[in-house]
Amino acid sequence: MPRPRRALTWLAGLTAALVAAATPADAPRLATLDWTLAETLVALGEPPAAVAQVEAYHAWVGEPALPASTIDLGLRSQPNLERLASLAPERILISPMFANLTPRLEHIAPVETLPLYRPERDTWREMRELTRSIGEMVERPEAASGLIEQTEARLDALRQRLDDATAPLLIMQFMNSRHVRVFGDNGLYQAVLDRLGIDNAWTGPTNAWGFSLVGLEALAGLDARLVVVEPYPAGVRERLDDGGLWGHLVEASRGTPIVLPPIWSFGALPSAERFAEQLVNALEPDDAA
Amino acid sequence: MPPDALATRRPWRPRLTPGALGLPLALGVLALALGHLLAGPGLGPGLIALFAPEATLDAASTLVLHYAWWPRLAMALLAGGGLALAGVLMQQVLRNPLAAPTTLGVASGANLALMAASLMAPGLLGLGREWVALAGGGMAMGLVFALAWRRGLAPVVVVLGGLVVNLYFGALSMVLLLFHQEELKGLLIWGAGSLAQNGWQDVAFLAPRLAIGGLLAWLLLRPLAVLALDEAGARSLGVSLKHLRLAGLGLAVFLTGCVVSVVGIVGFIGLAAPNIVRLAGARRLGARLAWSTLLGALLLAATDLVLQRVSGHLPTLIPTGATTAALGAPLLLWLIPRLRLAGETPPREARALGGRHPAPGRLAGGLAIALLGVGAVAMLAGQGADGWQWASPSDWTLLQWRVPRALAAAGCGVMLAIAGTLIQRLTANPMASPEVLGISGGSAIALMGAIFLLPAPDNLTLVAAGTLGALASLAVLVGLNRASGFQPERLLLTGVAITALFEAIKGVVLAGGDPRGQQVIAWLSGSTYYVDPTSALSVAAAALLLALVAAPLGRWLDILPLGGATATALGLPLARARLALLLMVALLTAGATLVVGPLSFVGLLAPHMARLMGFARARAHLAGAALTGALLMVLADGLGRQLLFPEEIPAGLMASLLGGAYFMWGLQASPSRR
Repeated sequence: MPRPRRALTWLAGLTAALVAAATPADAPRLATLDWTLAETLVALGEPPAAVAQVEAYHAWVGEPALPASTIDLGLRSQPNLERLASLAPERILISPMFANLTPRLEHIAPVETLPLYRPERDTWREMRELTRSIGEMVERPEAASGLIEQTEARLDALRQRLDDATAPLLIMQFMNSRHVRVFGDNGLYQAVLDRLGIDNAWTGPTNAWGFSLVGLEALAGLDARLVVVEPYPAGVRERLDDGGLWGHLVEASRGTPIVLPPIWSFGALPSAERFAEQLVNALEPDDAA
Repeated sequence: MPPDALATRRPWRPRLTPGALGLPLALGVLALALGHLLAGPGLGPGLIALFAPEATLDAASTLVLHYAWWPRLAMALLAGGGLALAGVLMQQVLRNPLAAPTTLGVASGANLALMAASLMAPGLLGLGREWVALAGGGMAMGLVFALAWRRGLAPVVVVLGGLVVNLYFGALSMVLLLFHQEELKGLLIWGAGSLAQNGWQDVAFLAPRLAIGGLLAWLLLRPLAVLALDEAGARSLGVSLKHLRLAGLGLAVFLTGCVVSVVGIVGFIGLAAPNIVRLAGARRLGARLAWSTLLGALLLAATDLVLQRVSGHLPTLIPTGATTAALGAPLLLWLIPRLRLAGETPPREARALGGRHPAPGRLAGGLAIALLGVGAVAMLAGQGADGWQWASPSDWTLLQWRVPRALAAAGCGVMLAIAGTLIQRLTANPMASPEVLGISGGSAIALMGAIFLLPAPDNLTLVAAGTLGALASLAVLVGLNRASGFQPERLLLTGVAITALFEAIKGVVLAGGDPRGQQVIAWLSGSTYYVDPTSALSVAAAALLLALVAAPLGRWLDILPLGGATATALGLPLARARLALLLMVALLTAGATLVVGPLSFVGLLAPHMARLMGFARARAHLAGAALTGALLMVLADGLGRQLLFPEEIPAGLMASLLGGAYFMWGLQASPSRR
């Protein structure tokens, strides 16, 4: 069921599509290997013509959805060069992770490398810069400003709905029944928590992607409400129900654990807004009751 | 004789006994454990926490002790002991000090079963992942036994069968991982062997099974000791070798399967503990079983306790299983010069596979024609925007993507196959391959380092890093083996240690879940993806050149498998010949690895496939293997690009799957052609 905010995005997208259809010459054909760039492009109303691993994008990023006409380029780490060449895109967007492909891709089209989650940089500011650069690349700077303003306004509104005394949160994703990724500094969730004015209970070290892989015992003794981001790996939920340390962690934590539907943990503004929306909905007492 | 192959080299040293080795280790484990308890709630409450977590005041820390720390310690002791016990059994039955609990493919079978279940039948994992893992391990073992059954479970056939099943299942797992990295990231932790616990369930699962296994091993003690004799001797005692081997291997596999199913893949303990114990002077099977079990338990517990002390300060998990391998590798490297190995006696069954083709020249001609045909089809047929199409041979805009890859695939196939033939003849060990020698491993370590430590490495940087890594491995190989005149067994052990280090680093890197792991997996799977016309031409030229250099080495290669003594008697400059061959292998491997990555296994398979076809003499064997390698790689590259279009299966993986299938067929179908 589309919520008002989503309807707005859709409207924006529809308008963009109509405009694009009216003036096809303006819409550069873009291809991207990176899902974070792809979701931003879709949110800007300029969905890329081709994306790597389209099916997996829908499983792991989900919203905003790619149009059905999107062409699958194959693996993100090894996109199909024959297919990419036959599409003759005007530009290929990648993140630094795929930089070693640049020499090959440059034979096909100019390559733009767009970074996100660099250490020592404010993640939220980086997301805004990324959105702006992409907006300029697709010649729609006003759509980029619109997306930034709309996302920030939405997060401010969500912040108003929160109690002042929201408990610190511990955001995690299960890897198996004994290990979790716990999210902290330099990541998407931290950036959103900062804007919502919520404390993160995980102050430990994190890697370049804003998470730390730990055994469950590392979470003991932290005073926090638990937030689990789905999906659970197969069989894990059953194992956790058996009790053990996890049962005691749940008992010792504040309130009931929150379980959120899958969100792309390494995404940009669209994923950030989705996370904020779902988190605040779950935190509100009426929803819990 | 292999079972007694390891002994102290310098008798004037104070005599090393298993007890003298185990005691300090036991004290170390005790000190580490006490240290942990004293730093936490203290000794008394710590012990109380073991039995009754609610009895004490400081809830959080005692809960962690009760539900995580104590079971983890118990698990480390159990798993280490179980793996070491399985290792002794395996080495005893297979008469090979390089055999490890995972030699028969148990771990890779379990891994594949878990991955397949996660993707296709997640409901099964809800019933219990141990059972899925055990079923997968059992399946792998069953396959190995089926392959070797008609040969009476002869050690060399079992080892080869295990090797090929391992790499076959490993390649299948790698394909799944490449296409479903997000879904399978949790299993990577399992693959690197983490001992973290969430209660006592797993210990309760493992303990009774290991107890039964230990009891059975004790019952099998006397019959198994017979296996130390050679085949004829054992037969003359009226023992059914086949059933005895089945019992011994089955037990080892059961123990391994149980351990692996709960903690994942823990490297090295099962290989190292039995060898260390033998080095320390335990000769009889009973003593080796008992001491190895103890030592394995202590080794794993000590590693895990040390690891827990340091890992709190790191942003990523360092899995214990990978760490034991990483620590064990230098240990093995240190031990190698101190071992006295029986490498100068001719191995009995090393060349037991395949007969001799009456006209190897005609066979080679057939292979060459097949290579040309497959190459043409692979380059011209393919899928585009509108399905399958034939490309015209002049359509360079399309062929520019295909020709370099086919060329590079053929070149790498030739180089790896020649390297494999050289190293298998040099060491007279059928398990030998350029990958096993550690050159690929060294270059892979350097490449992973470059991918992870440099901000955005380009391909030139990666090639430079890979070359440096390969050279460093070669330096280690030469440095450690020069004094012994490059004795084959020692060379292989050095390679095994470097490869173990590579596996360990790979495990840690992938388990951490860094998104860049994707790139590592893609490169490790052996792809021709990154080849451009220039590098393809250089690879092809290098392959041609090195093949010409290798051709005159035929006489050496005919003589070397007869063993060091015979070779010297025939006037072969042994150390010089071995060094020269080693350098050749290193060059060939490094060249191919830089293009297709370290895990193609063409170097292992192509020489064996050539032998199965009937290329017997060294020069014919070289030519046959080179053609087979090229054919295999070109076919694999072509199929890999089209099977799952637009997604590509890397050529190295496809080659493993194709070659592995042929090899399994040949292995079980050729009992009479000895």
